[in-house]
Amino acid sequence: MLSRYIKLYYLFCKQNLKVMLEYRMDFLLGVLSVMLQQFAGIFFVKIVFDHIHALNGWTFYEILFIYGIAATGRSIHHIFFDNLWTLGWQYIRPGKFDRLLIRPINPLFHFIADRLQQDGFGQLFIGIIVIGTAMPHLSISWGVLEFFILVVMIIASGFIFVAINLFFATLSFWMVDSLPIVWTIFNLSDFARYPLTIYHKGIRHFLTWIVPYGFTAFYPAAYFIEGSGFERLALLTPVVAIVSCIFAYWFWNRGLKAFTSTGS
Amino acid sequence: MIVVKNLEKHYKIAKRDPGLRGAIKSLFHRKFETKKAVKKINMHINAGEMVGYIGANGAGKSTTIKMLTGILTPTSGEVKVNGIIPYENRQQNASHIGAVFGQRTQLFWDIPVRESYELLKHIYEIPQAQYEETLKEFVDVLHLEPLLGIPVRQLSLGQKMRCELAAAFLHRPKVVYLDEPTIGLDVAVKVRIRAFIKQMNARYGTTVLLTTHDMQDIEEICQRIIIIDDGSVIYDGSIQDIKSQFGDKRVIHFELEDAADSFVLPEEIRALTEVLPTSDEDPHLVSLSFSNKHISGAEVIHTMMNHYSVADLTIADAKIETIVEEIYGRGMKKEVQHEEIR
Repeated sequence: MLSRYIKLYYLFCKQNLKVMLEYRMDFLLGVLSVMLQQFAGIFFVKIVFDHIHALNGWTFYEILFIYGIAATGRSIHHIFFDNLWTLGWQYIRPGKFDRLLIRPINPLFHFIADRLQQDGFGQLFIGIIVIGTAMPHLSISWGVLEFFILVVMIIASGFIFVAINLFFATLSFWMVDSLPIVWTIFNLSDFARYPLTIYHKGIRHFLTWIVPYGFTAFYPAAYFIEGSGFERLALLTPVVAIVSCIFAYWFWNRGLKAFTSTGS
Repeated sequence: MIVVKNLEKHYKIAKRDPGLRGAIKSLFHRKFETKKAVKKINMHINAGEMVGYIGANGAGKSTTIKMLTGILTPTSGEVKVNGIIPYENRQQNASHIGAVFGQRTQLFWDIPVRESYELLKHIYEIPQAQYEETLKEFVDVLHLEPLLGIPVRQLSLGQKMRCELAAAFLHRPKVVYLDEPTIGLDVAVKVRIRAFIKQMNARYGTTVLLTTHDMQDIEEICQRIIIIDDGSVIYDGSIQDIKSQFGDKRVIHFELEDAADSFVLPEEIRALTEVLPTSDEDPHLVSLSFSNKHISGAEVIHTMMNHYSVADLTIADAKIETIVEEIYGRGMKKEVQHEEIR
């Protein structure tokens, strides 16, 4: 069962890659523009830090590290799960979603596999470069274990992005297109690129326990930053990812059920 | 193969007053009204049958097909396709069915047709040998060879529909639902598509449920038709039956030299013919309906010519089109009467 889906995903990917290469200019421009966008964000942080030495006790490289984890985690979502954005206006509104329902495979899988977003690679490159730049400046010695934990944290971060977007995209089953809501929520993730300690307690709790964007960047990064005070909480990141995904998938199935009973 | 019992589907539709004011009002306070799209439908289709499912727009055809494919869950009633309840075991049902939905493509938009089929091969887990054999056959019958390397988005409507049809039959499904497969196509493509459907049915015993507005499709492909109007089945039987039931009906339209208001049916034919109501557009038109069992067309024309000066005449024959039109018409008439009673 699982091996069948892995194989199918591989085949879908292969086709998507072919299409991507067919539109070569599109590919390059997409990757470049996302890289530029990320770079602008980092540049802004750099300018701020030219004037101050620390932000509420956090150094430039610590902030950079948080930023890098956010970008890399987000790129997983951006490359592989980008189709979530299109559920309402590309699938449900024009009736294309019906096509997925008469195929003998899981409709969520089919929907996700339908698209591979090249632009996300730009985000991935920048993320890795930023993490690589920040790493030597953190007061932690990088061994195999630390690397392993870092990779797990980044993957978990990616899946938290996925779960949150899946949850809000699912609303499309009731309201035809939930894109504005998905956008609004997604923009909250920008908060998580800075240390959550600089925000009001209410915002912090919201981003930790309600819409857990805190676990996409700040908490995982804090694990590697000595004296951050969040090392224990950071270990929850993979758990939060799994719970969020299960919850979002449950919600998706509810949405699907509602959709098949109204058909609109 | 397909068993449908007392199938119903109701939709809740938000009702709102016209205009911007109505739209704003409905933001805060919504009234819902229930629309019965499908009402207590029963049908029983055997394996290997090819059935035409026809009805006017909005009669409930698509809703029924959506329930048969498992896309929609019925409000009440029962559906079984090949022993499976489609909306409960949608994925299981999906591996035994194929579908073409009008102009919505089932293929993958950006990739060449051949690669689309390759993906479908894996999705439906078609054995390689069977896949190659089927594809070869389809390529021959539907003349797909020159299309295989082209991305779907670059195909013309007729080309796309041929590819679409091949995709629907590729995994040798037991049942295929065709929702207007010939809409907007030229005659040559229509002929090819009909031949293909008939061949699939003959070779693999595929059960076909076909909705179309093209009566030629129905006459050439189906042995049986089910007519639905306003959510209810109003006819279910063989095409032969419907033809013999209504086939003796003839209508002759007379274009008179004088205005038709003063027209009175000549006494000789008064008992056997009937004046049909005509539109007001042509004041000279008189349409007579009769059964050719009781009186011949020649006799009607002869009598008319004796009493009136006739400028022109046309005889409408008993084509399935005319019959279906008449049946739709009656369905609508019934509705009008209901309104009046209320």
